Amino acid sequence: MRKILILTKREYIAAVRTKSFIIALLIAPIFMGGSLIVFALFKDKVEVSDKNLVVIDHTGKVAESLLSAAEFRNKNEIWDTVSGKQIKPAYHIQILEPNAENPVQQKMELSNQVRNKHIHAFMEIGPDIIHPGENPDMSRLKYYSENSLMDEIRGWFTLPVNEQIRKIRIEELNLENDSIQELFLWHNVEGLGLIKVDERTGIVEDAKQSSIVDAFLIPYVLVLLMFLMTMMTAVPLLSAVSEEKVERIAEVILGSASPFQFMAGKIIGSVGVSLTVGMVYIVGGVFTLSYLGYEHLVPMDVLPWFFIYMILNVIMIGAFMAALGSAANDIKDAQNMQFPAMLPILFPLFVMMPILKEPLSAFSTSISLVPIWTPMLMVMRQSTTVTIPLWQPILGLIGVLLFTILSVWLSGRLFRICILLQGKRPKISTLMSYAMKG
Amino acid sequence: MYSIELKAVTKSFNGHIAVKNLSLKVPEKSIYGFIGPNGSGKTTTIRMIMNILYPDHGEIRLFGKKRTGSCLDRVGYLPEERGLYKKMKVKDLLKFHAELKNGNNISKEINYWLERLALEKWANQRVETLSKGMTQKLQFITTIIDHPEIIILDEPFSGLDPVNAEVIKSSILELRSQGSTVIFSTHDMHMAELMCDYIFMIYQGEKVLDGTLESIQDKYGSDTIRIQSELGMESIKDIQGIETINDYGQMQEIRYSKDTDTQKILAELMKRTKIKKFEITRPSLHDIFIRIARPTEIEKENA
Repeated sequence: MRKILILTKREYIAAVRTKSFIIALLIAPIFMGGSLIVFALFKDKVEVSDKNLVVIDHTGKVAESLLSAAEFRNKNEIWDTVSGKQIKPAYHIQILEPNAENPVQQKMELSNQVRNKHIHAFMEIGPDIIHPGENPDMSRLKYYSENSLMDEIRGWFTLPVNEQIRKIRIEELNLENDSIQELFLWHNVEGLGLIKVDERTGIVEDAKQSSIVDAFLIPYVLVLLMFLMTMMTAVPLLSAVSEEKVERIAEVILGSASPFQFMAGKIIGSVGVSLTVGMVYIVGGVFTLSYLGYEHLVPMDVLPWFFIYMILNVIMIGAFMAALGSAANDIKDAQNMQFPAMLPILFPLFVMMPILKEPLSAFSTSISLVPIWTPMLMVMRQSTTVTIPLWQPILGLIGVLLFTILSVWLSGRLFRICILLQGKRPKISTLMSYAMKG
Repeated sequence: MYSIELKAVTKSFNGHIAVKNLSLKVPEKSIYGFIGPNGSGKTTTIRMIMNILYPDHGEIRLFGKKRTGSCLDRVGYLPEERGLYKKMKVKDLLKFHAELKNGNNISKEINYWLERLALEKWANQRVETLSKGMTQKLQFITTIIDHPEIIILDEPFSGLDPVNAEVIKSSILELRSQGSTVIFSTHDMHMAELMCDYIFMIYQGEKVLDGTLESIQDKYGSDTIRIQSELGMESIKDIQGIETINDYGQMQEIRYSKDTDTQKILAELMKRTKIKKFEITRPSLHDIFIRIARPTEIEKENA
């Protein structure tokens, strides 16, 4: 045990004292939530140059309203109220008479104008838009631009166009607009949690409104955190061990420690690193949320499970990676092995959505009891707003424990043989034989 | 009392026998030289002693007892292929290796050996900043830092310049004088002759020589003459009774057949050239090595 601790200490210090570790510690979450952060940072950095838009109105009744809507928007909605600075582009709308003789030619010319950047986009209002008939193509609103799916202007058109259509329909029915406003009131079904009794005070607490943070963000963050720590600490063991094998450091160490002690030192060192990373992120996260007054978002009941599963996950995956690293003949071999070896770790990320949607389904339950995926998937299920039966995390933990012991035992046998093999690229069958026969 | 005992040890890899039925006894406080051609089984034998490889058959005992993990803490091992953590500082690395071996008085020993091997200025530098020779010396210190009772050195002099080789040699002798048993493998026959109390040669996995240099040379008899003459190699050709000639340029070493009269060889040489040196001697270790390891005619034909 003393030797394992000495080797662990060296591994731990070698990992956490490097600049790359500090940088990775800071950068990793940025990469993981990168798109969200970049979106938040640059959401106001939009192009503010004027947008020239053309509308072909086959009804002759709808497009006029867009002119006033655009004028209102250009006056009131594109300026920052505090600084007075323009923060959104102005829309300039031109209404074109439809070319009844050659409609295709007209749209072709407008498309070329879009390509030549003379206009930004054009919209076509179908002739039956007010009273849709049997031909659905005649009652469509078509928006043509180079990036119509992501274009915000398409969305902007929807409201004024539909309001104008509604207005025309009401007028045709000779109804008073003000008297029928309630007809258009729409009610959404609110998502609430369950009513519960506060264990401390005994007071019945009202159900809280479900939010995307509870339902999605917390499980997402915890799973991503465990994935991140596995990637930062367990996966690099593959290249670290192969490097020490290639550079003949392994044989020097084996002169003082057994192969199992050597491997255990490396794995426990990785556990130490992952605990450090975990503590930094979790403690930092809890502190920040508490400071901001969101401490109720911290899933305190899940955190102990998170750390237990994380430790076992790093040991389980780390042992596997160390064994593979010992089998690699050179650094290139190790690089080639890394991606296929990572696939099982990536799998939980692929099934996140169906599990978050139905954490209690047979699929979610069974897949979260597969030992190699249990740490990430069980924590994800536990951190949702749904109550998971207690037997499931306990059974999952027993499975992971047994699988970890098996993984370390098999990897130890493989490691002992492969770490001194030079110049040989063992086949999968050979590796299996080494692991089974020792 | 023997520090190391091997009893009928055999090890094979994928059907190839690397070491065959090897028995060996290394006396306490002796220097034991392992010699043999490349691939003959020296490193495999050493790795088995270190418990890095397990023998298929036979028994290995250390300090008169069955080998255990704690026994190995009393053994220092320098592998043939050197490997050190390059990012570690020299002193930290030595401390790490000493702790792994459960060493005492670590700081004192580290300072002593760094100074002894002229590395004290590099104590706080990273290993990657050292030259090859300095790295070799550092690797040697990692092996002996805890003052092991048995020191096993696989090719300790390879790659070292004469000055550094001399430093390592004197360090080995110092450690032996302090009570350590030393085993080292080498291709430097001259160093083995000068340093070793016992020499063991392994060839194709089998022990072919084992004993003191004197006993080995006795076995081969006095069938060697070292000659220095004005004409050199030219003067020796075609003299009757000479079996082999080793030409070293400035000196020729010949082996003569059993019934040959050395006086006749001398007389013939004197007719041909001016003789500077004519020494009847026993074969050198180098010569014995060549005699054993040189491929036989049959092997050459089969090659």
